[in-house]
Amino acid sequence: MPLPAKAFQLWLHGVAPTASTADICRISGIKRTTLAQQLVRGKVSESTLVSISRALKRSPLDDLASFDSFAGLAEQPQPPTPAELVSQIATMDLLRAVISRSSPAYGGFGDSSSSLTPPLSAAPHATSVRNWVDAIDDGELRHRVSAATGVAPQNYSAQLTANRLSPELAVATSRAAGVGFTGGLVATGLLTEAEAGWTPAAKQAALDALSDGELTALAGERLQSLGRTLRRQEHEHEQTQKIWENLG
Amino acid sequence: MIAILQWTTLAVCALAAVARVPSALRGENRSLFAVYLLLTVAILLSIDAPYVAIDQALGGLNLANVVLRFIVFGAIFALGLRIARGFGAEDALRFLTGPVGIAVAAAASVAVVVSFLMMDTAGSSAGLVEVHAKSARNAVLVEYYGAAGRLYPAYVMLALLPAMLRTVGSRLPGLVRVGAALLAVGSVAITLSLLFPVIPASLAYLRFVINYTAILCIIVGLATFWLSKALAMRTREMETDATG
Repeated sequence: MPLPAKAFQLWLHGVAPTASTADICRISGIKRTTLAQQLVRGKVSESTLVSISRALKRSPLDDLASFDSFAGLAEQPQPPTPAELVSQIATMDLLRAVISRSSPAYGGFGDSSSSLTPPLSAAPHATSVRNWVDAIDDGELRHRVSAATGVAPQNYSAQLTANRLSPELAVATSRAAGVGFTGGLVATGLLTEAEAGWTPAAKQAALDALSDGELTALAGERLQSLGRTLRRQEHEHEQTQKIWENLG
Repeated sequence: MIAILQWTTLAVCALAAVARVPSALRGENRSLFAVYLLLTVAILLSIDAPYVAIDQALGGLNLANVVLRFIVFGAIFALGLRIARGFGAEDALRFLTGPVGIAVAAAASVAVVVSFLMMDTAGSSAGLVEVHAKSARNAVLVEYYGAAGRLYPAYVMLALLPAMLRTVGSRLPGLVRVGAALLAVGSVAITLSLLFPVIPASLAYLRFVINYTAILCIIVGLATFWLSKALAMRTREMETDATG
């Protein structure tokens, strides 16, 4: 359930009492028709709120937390676990770290965080949602989320596969896993790491804390699942080509 | 109503055939062009006025109806091969070109010819309606003749249905799945045509609706594949982007 339009308008009036809808749309880059439609339907998406909050130079996290469905978001902020942080490092960055740690003979620097290694790219990455859930999953997480929200496990899995997760489900997942609320919101790209209160060096520090063995195994897992995804895409591509060749 | 449906189907099919002329001239998928052409002729022969005109030229013995049956057989066979290859359906391909497929085709052909020869077929009449009305014996023979003519197309499309449904449920591009879904609807409609003998006379219009729905779905489905190909060629968005 996105944010109720009434509560949203109350919030908007509170934070920008003089701004017209047109002003809000202009500074936040939201299309007027989009906002109008959301208001008419009575449901405003969280990303709309975040865009406006961002444009007003406010804290999107605090503003989200001012709504009932996200109450408790900003209280007692729980920092992301190292596993969550590592899950938000893109696969290619992990591979780069593997090479970076290798001996100079293989193009590495032989240490963990050389100044010559390019900085980690910002979250989210192409598989950040699934990697995040995998990082906090104790094996029963999906069942608990499904029981708590009523979302069927296969629908939940489908969202993960598409690298999507609604903010409600992301928060419900955090709650079911007993981790901080920000991990899912960063993994889905709703909030940036800075907006979520993550320190700039947190990801790099979590990466550096991995032993060579841990890093290599993790990179290997990521590479394997990337390989499966690419293979499936290639297979689908071939099937499509065949249909076009014969029937197009 | 029925006339509108008939002429619309004819127009759509003829249009599709004409639209394929350039690619056929380039040598792409000529057999598909032939399928469109054959289907256009088949639809033409199923409409009253053109049927009577053509049949009169052939001697007024309803030979045009036999020609129509075999045109449909040929078009369905060629189309079935294309669909089976396109969908990578080895099982369906075996059903079409294997001994069973040949036997069904032969049986349907023999049944069509024999029942036709046994009828008194003088007097051009689309769908053999007047032939049917001539005598009880003719009425029975026309039913057998019609059933034989519907048997082979239903067999082919039924053999392909699983492959179509697999494609609909796959994760291929949306338009490809829409095309497969349309073909599947067409296949089900063709299969339903086997039930024509049990459709009561008061619902006779259902026969037309089912027949032309089937043809329209198949033609539009094929055109959808073509459209998706043309769009993809334009945008070239088939590259993978999971490496990010």
